[in-house]
Amino acid sequence: MNKKIIELKNINTIYEGEKIPVIKNIDLSVGSGEFICIIGPNGAGKTTLLETINGLLSYTGGKGYVFGKEISKNKTFIRKKTGFLIQNFEIDPLAPFLCRDVVMMGLTGKTGLFRFHTKKDWEKVWYSMGLVGMIDFANRPVGKLSGGEFQKILMARVLIQQPKILLLDEPFSNLDYSSRHQIETLLNRLHEKYNLTILMVSHDLSFIPERCNRIVVIDKGRIIMDGEKQHVLESEEVKNILKKGDKK
Amino acid sequence: MIELPLGLIITSVLGAILAGFVCSTMGTFVVRMDLSGIGYCMSHAAFAGAAFGLMISIDPMLGALLFSFITAFALGPIAEKAKLESNIVIGFLFSLMIALAFIFLNYVPGQSASAKALRILWGSILSVNASDVLLLALLSFVLVLFVVVFYKELSSVMFHRKMAEASGINTKIFYFAVLFFTGLAVSLSLRIVGGLLVFALIINPTSTAYQFFFDFKKIIIFSPVIGVVSCLVGYYLSLISDFPIGASIVIVSALVFAVAIIVSPKRKKVK
Repeated sequence: MNKKIIELKNINTIYEGEKIPVIKNIDLSVGSGEFICIIGPNGAGKTTLLETINGLLSYTGGKGYVFGKEISKNKTFIRKKTGFLIQNFEIDPLAPFLCRDVVMMGLTGKTGLFRFHTKKDWEKVWYSMGLVGMIDFANRPVGKLSGGEFQKILMARVLIQQPKILLLDEPFSNLDYSSRHQIETLLNRLHEKYNLTILMVSHDLSFIPERCNRIVVIDKGRIIMDGEKQHVLESEEVKNILKKGDKK
Repeated sequence: MIELPLGLIITSVLGAILAGFVCSTMGTFVVRMDLSGIGYCMSHAAFAGAAFGLMISIDPMLGALLFSFITAFALGPIAEKAKLESNIVIGFLFSLMIALAFIFLNYVPGQSASAKALRILWGSILSVNASDVLLLALLSFVLVLFVVVFYKELSSVMFHRKMAEASGINTKIFYFAVLFFTGLAVSLSLRIVGGLLVFALIINPTSTAYQFFFDFKKIIIFSPVIGVVSCLVGYYLSLISDFPIGASIVIVSALVFAVAIIVSPKRKKVK
């Protein structure tokens, strides 16, 4: 494995006011440049795991490190170098924000306080929107987009950060087949070109990007399996877990 | 038409312009954050403060400002600590302030003193003095600075707080600051438009701007413009008709909003 970029040791995360951890005793090492898919049924703890890595949720047990720094003490530092695509959410149709401004918001944390956006920042906006094929939507209000178009704008917002780590929570949700294919191709290309570390959450085995080399399976807050893509995909145990999730 | 001394006209017009400016600037955030109840909450905090001032025999306006200031400061942290929507905490504080006001008024001797506290709820632009105008001017300057310097952070938080947090912005500071400045804008505008009507000055101009723009930057620019114009026209209407100033301002801003709904380009279908 390349240099470790994420390391979780015996991590537990409990939501405030609850007693049972959502993720339990998680041990996970991620090497720089790995492309990992985290799969599992709904409610398995996949999103909680990503939010714990990004520091949006605080872990209540164990130790977590990103870029060699302890997550709980370096949240802002980690977030500025980590692109986090949160799970698709409903946007108010009258929301007063243009697509280009939403993409630019991805740079806000990185740019820092008391600094204004520059011409160079706007060039990055056009570039990121071009990457997801949404350059023509720059002046459209986000509230007027379809679910798939909005998802691509959020993806551009993450990419503009030029992150070292990409945390993607269900990036293919709401996308039609051709848009899925477009985003999948983009992820493969970015991974190949920039050696990005990618952790992608999905509950759909049929859309595992080609360059994904490792799959982590989570169920009921625990890692059930962690191995090479082909090995995990052929596992009967994994198929059963996902089938059970579908029935629910 | 009412004849007024020139000095009074200048201070009251300046007061109206500045109150319109601060309330409708903060209205941009209040509407986006769906905190419409903040007007009621702050006005009743001021009412309770005025009653408190009368009870301990100090200037009721000082008591009103003190209570509004404390409420504005406490609102954000309470909402965060209780893990509740800010609107719920606003409701809680609103009822608490009414209860406190009644308790304080119980200890104030005489009917006329209670009427003084109630005046906070109605407001009167003719009671505005130079120090009120100075305070509002100072707040306007601070707000312009706050919005210009932190526009990129504010717009990001207004779009989606969790996403802003995930990209490395300390959203809590900006969220609290918006609540605090809104509280301050309401408290300082109370003497002019009154606690009950200040609510309209926060909501109406921004709601009007929303009818025309999809761009947050334009809404931030035009909302105070609409607020100031509504205040000036309302002021003039009050002078020529002898209507109460607060009510005139609200009627004008409501009319502007109604016209905006009718002519809004957002509702026009492209042929």
